[in-house]
Amino acid sequence: MSSRWSEFKASLEPKVKEWKFMLKRLSESPLSIAGVAILSAFVVIAVFAPILAPPQGDDPFMIPRDWRILRVGVLEPIPPTQDHIFGTIENQYDLYYGCIWGTITAFRIGILVVAGALLIGLLIGMGAGYYGGITGEALMRFTDIIIAFPGLVLSMALTIALPNVMQVNLSLFICVFFALLSLTVLILRGNPRITAISGALFVITLLSYLYFPLMVNMSITNLDKVMVALVLVGWPGYARVIRGEVLRVRSEDYIEAARASGCSDLRIIMKHIIPNSVYPVLIMASLDTGAIVLSAAALSFLGLGADQGYADWGQIINMSQHWIGVTNVPLTEYLHAFLIPGFLIFMFVLAWNLLGDAVRDVLDPMIRRR
Amino acid sequence: MGLVTYVVRRLLLMIPVLVGVSVLIFAISMLFSPYQRATLYVRNPQALNPHTIEGIITKYNLNGSMFSQYFSWISEVFHGSLGWSTTVRQPVTTALLERFPATFEIVLIAAPVIVILGIWLGVQSAVHRNTLIDHGTRTIAILGWSLPSFWFGILLVSFFYVYLGWLPRGGRLSSPIQAFVTSASFVRYTGSNIIDGILNGQLWVTGDAILHVLLPATVIIVIDIAIIIRVMRSSMLEVLNKSYIIAAKAKGLTQKQVINKHARRNALIPTITISGLIIGGLITGLVITETVFAIGGLGRWAAQAALNIDMPAVLGFAMFTAVVFLISNLIVDVLYAYIDPRIRLA
Repeated sequence: MSSRWSEFKASLEPKVKEWKFMLKRLSESPLSIAGVAILSAFVVIAVFAPILAPPQGDDPFMIPRDWRILRVGVLEPIPPTQDHIFGTIENQYDLYYGCIWGTITAFRIGILVVAGALLIGLLIGMGAGYYGGITGEALMRFTDIIIAFPGLVLSMALTIALPNVMQVNLSLFICVFFALLSLTVLILRGNPRITAISGALFVITLLSYLYFPLMVNMSITNLDKVMVALVLVGWPGYARVIRGEVLRVRSEDYIEAARASGCSDLRIIMKHIIPNSVYPVLIMASLDTGAIVLSAAALSFLGLGADQGYADWGQIINMSQHWIGVTNVPLTEYLHAFLIPGFLIFMFVLAWNLLGDAVRDVLDPMIRRR
Repeated sequence: MGLVTYVVRRLLLMIPVLVGVSVLIFAISMLFSPYQRATLYVRNPQALNPHTIEGIITKYNLNGSMFSQYFSWISEVFHGSLGWSTTVRQPVTTALLERFPATFEIVLIAAPVIVILGIWLGVQSAVHRNTLIDHGTRTIAILGWSLPSFWFGILLVSFFYVYLGWLPRGGRLSSPIQAFVTSASFVRYTGSNIIDGILNGQLWVTGDAILHVLLPATVIIVIDIAIIIRVMRSSMLEVLNKSYIIAAKAKGLTQKQVINKHARRNALIPTITISGLIIGGLITGLVITETVFAIGGLGRWAAQAALNIDMPAVLGFAMFTAVVFLISNLIVDVLYAYIDPRIRLA
C-alpha cells in the first residue's frame, strides 16, 4: 500500500513541478496579478450577491422595480439617490441590483458556454484525431463550414431559429445515451462489466421509450437560446486544436509501446492521449470565458438575449442606449445607466484577457524558459 | 506548381465548403415553421397574403421531404432570389446590394488605418521590447481587445456629440445633404456617398459623409487594431532572433536598415494573412457598430431583421457573410502564394 502511494506521489512529481513553475512565472507578471485581482473581486461579488443585494421577488434574477416612482408616471432613468445608490434605469429597475446579480449571470454564461463547447469539441476532436479516416476528415470539413461564418452572425441566426418551447422525450435521450455508451465501450474494448451494465440500462430505457415515454416540456428563455447558440458556434475551434494535439501525440513512441504491450484503445485514450494533449487546450479554452461573455452581451444589446428586467449587463445597456443624446437633457442625467454596466463588462472581459495573455506566454514552449 | 494551378486548385477546394454552407443555412431554416419558410420563395409583396402562402407551401412541398425542399430552395438561390425581407419590404437580394455601400464606406476609412497603424505599432513594440513603449502598446492592445464595441460606441457618442457637439449622432449624412443626394442633380454611381461625392465633384458631400463615418470607424479601429499589433509584434520578435539579422548587424548596417529592410519585410507575411481576414470580417461584421450609430448598412438591417424574426433576411445575410469571408480567404491565400513562392510547393 505504502509503496503504491509513494509510487503515485513520484508519478505526480513532474506535474507538480510544472504547475509550480507556471504559477511562479505567472506571479512574476504584473498583468496577470491585475487580472487575478479583478476576477477575485467579481467572484466575491457573485458569491455574496444575496447579501449585497437581497432578492425581493421569487426570481432573484429579476431586477426589482421602484413602484413609488413608477406610479407617478416617471419612466426615464434617475441618477443615483439614497434609495438607489447607482440610480435606476428605464422603467425604474434598480441599477445596483442589476449590476450585482448580473455578475452571476456573466459567470454562468461564460462557464456554461465554455464547458459545453469544450465538451463537444473534445469528443469530436478526439474522435477525429484518434480514428482519423473518412469520418475524421468529414468532421473536420464540418468544422470548416461553421468557421466560415462570422461567429456573431451565425449565433444571431441560431438564436432566432431555436424554438422557445421544446417537447423533449426524455426516454429517447437516455436510451440513445446508453446505446452510444455501450457501443463506445464495446468498440474500444473496455471493461466488459461497464458494457454489460450500460447495455442493460439501454434495454430498460428502450422499453420505457416504447411503452411509457417520459415527456418533458422544456421552456427555454431567450438567454438560454443565446447560450445554446454560442455553444453551437464555439465548439469547432476547440475540436480543431484538440484534433491537432491528438494527431501529434498519437504518433509518439510511447503510444506504440502501450499498444504493443496490449493496452485497449480506451486505456490508451484515457491514460496516454488525454493527459498528454488536452491540458493546454483546457486552460486556454477556459480563458475564453471573457470573449464568450462579450458575445453574449453583444447579443443581449441587440435585444436577442435576456428578457427585459433580467439581471444581465448587456440587457441593461440595451435598455439605456436610446436615452443618450435626448435633446435638452444634460448628459449627466442618464450617463449612469450605461456607464456602470458597460464598465463592469469591460473589467470582466479585461480580467480574463489579462490572465489569458499571461498564461499563453507561460504555456508557449518557444519563449517560456528564456 | 505554378501560380495558376494553385489558384484553380484553391477555387475547386472552395466548392465543397460552399455546398456545406448552403446545407447549414438550409438546416437552420428547417427549424422554422413551413409558413415562415414560405417567405423564402416570395418575390413580391402581393404574395404575402395567407392564400398565396398556402399555395407556395403546396407548390414547393414545404411539409414534405427535406431533399426535395433543399433542391427547390437551392435552385431558387441560383436564380438570385433569397426570399422576401419583411423588415424592409424588399427582396433580400435587393436589400443586400442596396445596403452594402454604407458598410463598405466605413471599412474603406477604417481598414487602412487598422493595417498601417497596427503594423507600425507592432514593429515599435517588438523593437523596443520590454521598454515603456512596448508595455504601453501592449496595454492599448489588450484594452481595445476587451472593450465592448457597443459600449465604446455609446461613450464616443456621448462625448463627441452630446458633450462637445463636434460630430453627428449617427446616420450617413446630415438631412439637407441627404435631400440633395437623393435629388436628380446628384448621380449615384456606386451608392457610397464618399465616392459618389468625388465623382460628382461635390466634395462637401464627401466631407459630410466622412464626418459621419469618423466615430464608427474609430470604434472598429480601436478594437481590431489589437490583433494586428499582437501578430506583428510576435512575428517581428521571432524574426529579430534569426541569424540573418545578426549577420546584417555584423555587416555594419544601421539599426534602421536592419529593421526596415531585413526584419520587417520578413515579419509582414503572417500579418498580411490576418489583415485579409480582418478586412473580410469587417465587411460583414459591423452588426453592432452600425446599430449603435444608426447607419443603414448591412449589419443594422440584419440586427433589425433578427429582432423581427425576419428569417430570409437573417439567413440571406449569414450566407452572404460566409461567401465574402471565403472569398477574402481565397484572395489572402493567392496573395500569400504570390509573395512567398514556398507556399505553392507545400
